[in-house]
Amino acid sequence: MAKVGVYVCHCGSNIAGVIDVEAVRAFAEGLPDVAVARKDLFMCSDSGQEMIKQDIRDGLVDKVVVAACTPRTHEPIFRGALSAGGLNKYLFEMANIRDQDSWVHAQDPEGATRKAKLLVASAVGKAARLRPLEEKYVDVTKAALVIGGGVAGIFSALELAKMGFKTYLVEKEPSIGGVMAMLDKTFPTNDCSACILTPVMVEAGNHPNIELLTYSEVEDVEGYIGNFNVKVRRKQAYVDWARCTGCGACAEKCPSKTPDEFNMGLSNRKAAYIHFPQAVPKKAVVDMAHCKSCGGREIGTEPKISEKTGKPLLAPCEKACPADAINRTLQWDPAGEIKEIKVGTIVVATGFQVMDKGWFKEMAPDNKNVITALQMERLISATGPTGGKLLRPSDNEKPHTLTFVSCVGSRDEKHHTYCSRVCCMYMIKQARLIKEKYPDVNIYMHFIDVRSPGKDYDEYYTGARKMGINILRGKVGGLEVLPGDNLRVLAYDLDACAPVEYESDLVILATAMELPPTAKKLAQTLGLQFCGSNFFKELHPKLGPVETSTEGIFLAGCCQGPKDIPDTVSQAKGAAAAAAVPLCQGRVKIEPIISEVHTEKCSGCGICVPLCPYNAISLKPYAEKPRAIIDITQCKGCGVCTAACPSAAIVLHGYEEDQIFAQIAALTA
Amino acid sequence: MPAIVLDSDKIQDSVKRIMEYGGTGVLKCVQCGACSAVCPGVKAGFPVLCRLLIKKLLEGQFEELVEETSTWGCQACNRCTEVCPQGVRPQEVVFAYRRYQASELAFSSSATTSQMNLYGTGHAVFTEAGPLREKVGLPAKAPTSAYDEKAQKEIQTLLDNSPMGELGLF
Repeated sequence: MAKVGVYVCHCGSNIAGVIDVEAVRAFAEGLPDVAVARKDLFMCSDSGQEMIKQDIRDGLVDKVVVAACTPRTHEPIFRGALSAGGLNKYLFEMANIRDQDSWVHAQDPEGATRKAKLLVASAVGKAARLRPLEEKYVDVTKAALVIGGGVAGIFSALELAKMGFKTYLVEKEPSIGGVMAMLDKTFPTNDCSACILTPVMVEAGNHPNIELLTYSEVEDVEGYIGNFNVKVRRKQAYVDWARCTGCGACAEKCPSKTPDEFNMGLSNRKAAYIHFPQAVPKKAVVDMAHCKSCGGREIGTEPKISEKTGKPLLAPCEKACPADAINRTLQWDPAGEIKEIKVGTIVVATGFQVMDKGWFKEMAPDNKNVITALQMERLISATGPTGGKLLRPSDNEKPHTLTFVSCVGSRDEKHHTYCSRVCCMYMIKQARLIKEKYPDVNIYMHFIDVRSPGKDYDEYYTGARKMGINILRGKVGGLEVLPGDNLRVLAYDLDACAPVEYESDLVILATAMELPPTAKKLAQTLGLQFCGSNFFKELHPKLGPVETSTEGIFLAGCCQGPKDIPDTVSQAKGAAAAAAVPLCQGRVKIEPIISEVHTEKCSGCGICVPLCPYNAISLKPYAEKPRAIIDITQCKGCGVCTAACPSAAIVLHGYEEDQIFAQIAALTA
Repeated sequence: MPAIVLDSDKIQDSVKRIMEYGGTGVLKCVQCGACSAVCPGVKAGFPVLCRLLIKKLLEGQFEELVEETSTWGCQACNRCTEVCPQGVRPQEVVFAYRRYQASELAFSSSATTSQMNLYGTGHAVFTEAGPLREKVGLPAKAPTSAYDEKAQKEIQTLLDNSPMGELGLF
């Protein structure tokens, strides 16, 4: 006969404010198999845990039920108390009478108390039938993968590399650097973005423990914490990077033009190009989607021979390359190549995109003088399309009146309800940089309200007012296109309670930050979840900000939610530290709550094999007959095989048949 | 300007009543002002529309505003609803408040005239456009209630039997 101890938690007023805790405790005392039933203000406190430990040591209880909050955060704490008391920690069951009861039935205390009793009875029914389970360990591969080579990915990779772990840094573009490399200067110090980022990019590129895999994408991930097998597709660059010196001669000669992504479409690049001047690695790429195959130089064909000179007729890029890195005769595989790597942990730092202005029909998106803030960064950057001169796109003339519009697509239920967090500050930065350089330019900035909560941020904002930048509270309602490519701004001044109208030469829209659509595929590959704002979901919003629900996979930077550079770097270093923990430990625990086949009962029908979502089951010979076997490192304990097995040969430890039936019986009594 | 005395009972009553009259979105308003930025009524000198009307209602000024004439400046263009980032539907709030004003017979004279026009011709605002129509090759008389006694009769019957009829305007 089991001796179940039941411990009911008040959780301050979280539970006790709704549920009659004493009534639940008294009810538990009368349940079969229950030896003791106690209550405490906070069961998770030292004294609460000590109560459990003491009862175990005194031999009063050999199974434990805690009726409290959620096992998601607190199961590990109470399991620890069981271990400390000298009991197998899996002889524990939690009844969630907070999240699933007091919080959702706050208006119905009596009903909530009845429900709490049922939940406790059910947990007791199961606990009485629990069996001790044993944890197993497997060795980890002491290497890490960082996906995304923006400032978050770079810092995560550098931290891991400095700790001594081999780190692969995968970036889809030809160079690392991400969005930060596109920025002109950074708030609130006006540091030049490239000046502070380039040395770090170079450090990452040169670090002996970092292997850069740029122009590459993660295609497939298999395995589990400690032992991930990753397939990375290296896209075809059509340039031999071992020879390419990054001189740019091919780009100079290439005649084919296409909008330059790095300059946000404000200028053109060539089909053969180098990502940007400070690229790391500084290697050329031939973008085959825009390559004209000059003179019929299709990839993988022999060159024609000139009748005049008798020499082969090469494409301009080939001819220009002084390092013989471009050879179009070679049979380059358009699909690139697959590189297989093994890592123990993964940091996802895939970043964000800004919304296109085309979504906002009221903001005259077809007008060239309406630009996104990221385009503005390129427009004022020394490496941008105008060499850093402020010239508006429609006529390359200097604008005299500038308008900044905040919350375009953010804080808007038609697009994104969240605040993108950085727009207020980067708009103020852009306005300040322009005002410093061109004091005669009129600048009007329209905010719903100015959000500047950061170190030195509010001083930076009030400084903008002192510089003569006009700041108006009130969202811009729309833009009207006037003859001569000027725009009429239809705004409102909340403080004056009056509409505001004026002509502007250039309008900058702070479009919202969001996850790019490619993130969906990566989420499927890695088993990541999305939060309500459609960014990758962290394990816990406060206590697990870099972890995910998939063990061994961590988040850094804007793929987890909008944030500025200081927050991104902090999170990146935090994610690296968390990702290093399993690598330092050298082994990872295999959860014992997984399925196991009783081989003697298995008929070898194989129904379970294709049903397993984790490919954990295979048929292996046993006494010369095929029998199902489960790889403990792959099984996640979902129970699909257990439910499907016609011979009832598969048991899911921790969720065994008698335990579940006891729960059902208690709930339906 | 006298100070607004904030009173939670008054605020709750104001919110409840404007919602009952059809302004169901008031609590979603974040006072960004985009509605007032595009409102032709606000531009034409009717300040207590959209944002400011909602703000005053949210501060409990439901009864105090009864004589406010701004609300009758709304042209029902609904641009406010289009640009509102929070789904407040400001025009609905304006119309809801007008319903209250009408129930108190607090019409502006401009509104009375257009109601009479509506009753007489089926148009709140009607302009004789015969010559212009003929110039562009259309029949002088548009196919509308303005030239159709039977249609006018129908509209009058509808109005007589609506809450408008109960006000005794017609």
